[in-house]
Amino acid sequence: MAHQAHAYHMVDPSPWPLTGATAALLMTSGLAIWFHFHSLLLLYLGLTLLFLTMVQWWRDIIREGTFQGHHTPPVQKGLRYGMILFITSEVFFFLGFFWAFYHSSLAPTPELGGSWHPTGINPLDPFEVPLLNTAVLLASGVTVTWAHHSLMEGNRKEAIQALTLTIILGVYFTSLQAMEYYEAPFTIADGVYGTTFYVATGFHGLHVIIGSTFLAVCLMRQVQYHFTSEHHFGFEAAAWYWHFVDVVWLFLYVSIYWWGS
Amino acid sequence: MAAVWAHILRRSFSSARQLLAAASGEEHQGARMWKILSFVVAVPGVSVCMLNCYLKAQQHSHERPVFVPYDHLCIRNKPFPSGDGKHSFFHNPHANPLPTGWEDAEEH
Repeated sequence: MAHQAHAYHMVDPSPWPLTGATAALLMTSGLAIWFHFHSLLLLYLGLTLLFLTMVQWWRDIIREGTFQGHHTPPVQKGLRYGMILFITSEVFFFLGFFWAFYHSSLAPTPELGGSWHPTGINPLDPFEVPLLNTAVLLASGVTVTWAHHSLMEGNRKEAIQALTLTIILGVYFTSLQAMEYYEAPFTIADGVYGTTFYVATGFHGLHVIIGSTFLAVCLMRQVQYHFTSEHHFGFEAAAWYWHFVDVVWLFLYVSIYWWGS
Repeated sequence: MAAVWAHILRRSFSSARQLLAAASGEEHQGARMWKILSFVVAVPGVSVCMLNCYLKAQQHSHERPVFVPYDHLCIRNKPFPSGDGKHSFFHNPHANPLPTGWEDAEEH
């Protein structure tokens, strides 16, 4: 029987990178078609293909790592580098939107009334729901750490409890933000204030949804005994991503909600 | 703000220390400490903020501000891609005026 004389993972051929790239093309062109010609078909096709790609690609990774033993220590180290590099790229993504916000708010133009917030805008009170949202995300950072330590100590029941609580807090944040979006007296079309506010907080909210989903997948895997006390990188990656989402919120809160009000 | 950073840094250092200690079998109180922090600090902190929101919301005036058709607000250079093109995605008739003013005639 053939075997490899090294600890690395030579991945089998897979169609998911191609379907993922196709999904990216369909979503980008689909968005443009929606904006200009009001048809959602291409966008829906792209989103469907994206969803199928993610489910099947990550299902294959779980099979390779958890069930087939391909995630040796060197392979895991590579996965760690990969996740760190990905999160770093996301940091730069958000940096762009913070740049846009500070560009417009540090030197407000006469057209805005020469002030930030612009004349006619009623900003949200930073000490109402935004403060609650801050408490919710900070609390979820504590509970996800509880989950991690429970996992490392082999406490299955508490790991499940803590992870569930973390996800509940994430969903609570999302619902609070959705309510805020509906109740806010300003819209995305209210000048550069509205644009910077909704684009920055909107992308953040999308990342909260992604992070909550990642944690939910970890919860399902923990229930199905995928993780051991020594080897649970999927969970660690989800926890790193979740902390990143929390830190981005703290910057959003201080810059846009508090200083910008 | 500095306290928040200190908290985050302390957390990542403690995880690193935990990984080193796990091999030697010590630090069984790690999870217990975070569990206590979760139920004594985190969850009550959220509850206090929830109460604060509820109390502040009751103090709000229910008057709607007078609509002023500023040039730099309520921009409509091209139609929105959804609906009739005149309403933003999270449009709230009570809170969001159109360029022509409030949509409804209600006083409240």
